[in-house]
Amino acid sequence: MATVTLNQAQKTYPNGFKAIHGIDLKIEHGEFTVLVGPSGCGKSTLLRMIAGLEGISDGEISIDDKVVNTVAPADRDIAMVFQNYALYPHMNNYDNMAYGLKNRGYSKAEIDTKVREAARILQLEDHLERKPRQLSGGQRQRVAMGRAIVRQPKVFLFDEPLSNLDAKLRVDMRLEIKNLQQRLGITSVYVTHDQVEAMTLADRLIVMNGGVAEQIGSPIDVYEKPASQFVAGFIGSPAMNFLKGKVSDDKKHVTVGDGVELELDHDVEGGREVTVGIRPEHLQMHNDGNGRIDAGVRMVESLGAETLAYLDFGANADNVTLRLQGTHQFAQGEKLNLSVPADKIHLFDIETGKRI
Amino acid sequence: MYQSKWRIFTNHTILVLGSLFMILPVWIAFASSTHTREYIFQNGLQFWPGGEFFTNYGAILFDAEATKGRVTALEMLFNSMVLGLGFAIGKVIISMMAAYAIVYFRFKLAVPLFWIIFSTLLLPLEVRIVPSYEVVANLGLLNSYTGLILPLIASATGTFFFRQFYRSVPDELLEAARLDGAGPLRFFIDILVPLSVTMIAAIFIIMFVVGWNQYLWPLLMTTDDQLYTIVIGIKQVYNSLYEGGQIPQFPKAFALTIMASVPPVLVVVIFQRMFIKGLVETEK
Repeated sequence: MATVTLNQAQKTYPNGFKAIHGIDLKIEHGEFTVLVGPSGCGKSTLLRMIAGLEGISDGEISIDDKVVNTVAPADRDIAMVFQNYALYPHMNNYDNMAYGLKNRGYSKAEIDTKVREAARILQLEDHLERKPRQLSGGQRQRVAMGRAIVRQPKVFLFDEPLSNLDAKLRVDMRLEIKNLQQRLGITSVYVTHDQVEAMTLADRLIVMNGGVAEQIGSPIDVYEKPASQFVAGFIGSPAMNFLKGKVSDDKKHVTVGDGVELELDHDVEGGREVTVGIRPEHLQMHNDGNGRIDAGVRMVESLGAETLAYLDFGANADNVTLRLQGTHQFAQGEKLNLSVPADKIHLFDIETGKRI
Repeated sequence: MYQSKWRIFTNHTILVLGSLFMILPVWIAFASSTHTREYIFQNGLQFWPGGEFFTNYGAILFDAEATKGRVTALEMLFNSMVLGLGFAIGKVIISMMAAYAIVYFRFKLAVPLFWIIFSTLLLPLEVRIVPSYEVVANLGLLNSYTGLILPLIASATGTFFFRQFYRSVPDELLEAARLDGAGPLRFFIDILVPLSVTMIAAIFIIMFVVGWNQYLWPLLMTTDDQLYTIVIGIKQVYNSLYEGGQIPQFPKAFALTIMASVPPVLVVVIFQRMFIKGLVETEK
């Protein structure tokens, strides 16, 4: 059990590229933190800085209140799981898990107890004598996790551990990781670009963009109150609709498309140009004509459990996604009557993209 | 792919002819080495083995007189073996370590140093043979195994091959090892060397054969018959064929040639198995 504290941690590469622009963060005991963001946002760099595989240009990183900026990776008491497993191909799975313990001078008997215990937890007992290449992708990833847990480190670091697995296995392993982490209660930092993984695993989500933490919060907070247009667009699938809008003079409405007026749940400066964000699942369809929005159907995608319709709201808003439960039949050009609850409308500043 | 019978037939004909072309001279040398010298002198090269195999080979292996020197073929084989093994093992070790330094320790001069090493590939031993001789002579290493092996041990080719191989090893392996508490030496011995087994076998084969076949260098370095390698021995035997008005020792010269070629062939045959096995099993 340990805390990880980042105090204005920065990373500048020798060529002048600034990968991390100063991040403040405190990860609590046993917390599962997920770093999520598009490729090149610095999430892996940040993880590797915590691991000690990348140097820290400025600021501090502490584990359990001890600054570890110059501590070697092996001495930070952390364990890391890599995307490509990084198992030693010439060692069998037992030796793969035992290697770190051997280097730390544990006795043979201790190593044996720890490895067998880890193998039991991960259901790898039958595979200990085999080499990594004789295992499936999921089993290899479990060996990699076994290598991490035998040492009972203070912090687990995961670098996109599920990216190399196929879709079904990914879901299973996701549950397994969550389960394992809760059972062992070890502070974890997990990097992914997959927002579903991020939402399901995280106690706390850190959405990164261009070396900056755009938002830090619980997954539900991030989903319900995205701090910026970037976060709003990144979290949620299909992505949030963004429309150009203008706040009415009474400060209580915003106009989008061809004069569609939407009610707001909080006052905003009148006449201000804003970006309006609406999640596809928050558009409600009305059969009684009570909705404020009328829109034509451009295209329909039926996924079975849900139906996605692409709608035309008029000027500057001709590709709005609507997500409905179940199957629906729409003709092209059919007019739908819709509404959005006031508390589901997000407004963002046009210039800065910040939430209003 | 579908292959017609005609095509299989022509392919095999070409292969069989090619093989015969390569093997026949060796076979004739072997067959001729098993006759008496009088018989060869009268009847020329022989295609079928005669009855003198044990006599001729026994004489050349154990009787210094038969090789026209003060050293038996067995001793020369031993010298060649020392040279070949020392040469190959030394080159493998030195080039592995050099490549390890160049790839994993990003010191400032790594790149220029690598290119300097690499450019020496262009210079054959013959170019630097006089200064090399001078150095070895000043060190007092003439007529010693050390003098024979040490100056040849640095290898640009080997360093280059190992460098290319190390660069293909995923970085995560190094990082995982670092997290597992392995220092540079541990990582090299526990991870990199076992992963390089196939490369080691390949370079060992090549270098052993090259070392075994060295002619000019041992000729310069050794004035003492006791240190003659078998390649030099062959030369010496052929030189003395016509001396003394006796009937030339053709069968024994052929026997020596055959013996000189057996160990490299064995090394290739034995290690090639490991080499291929490694190729099939290794996976990154």
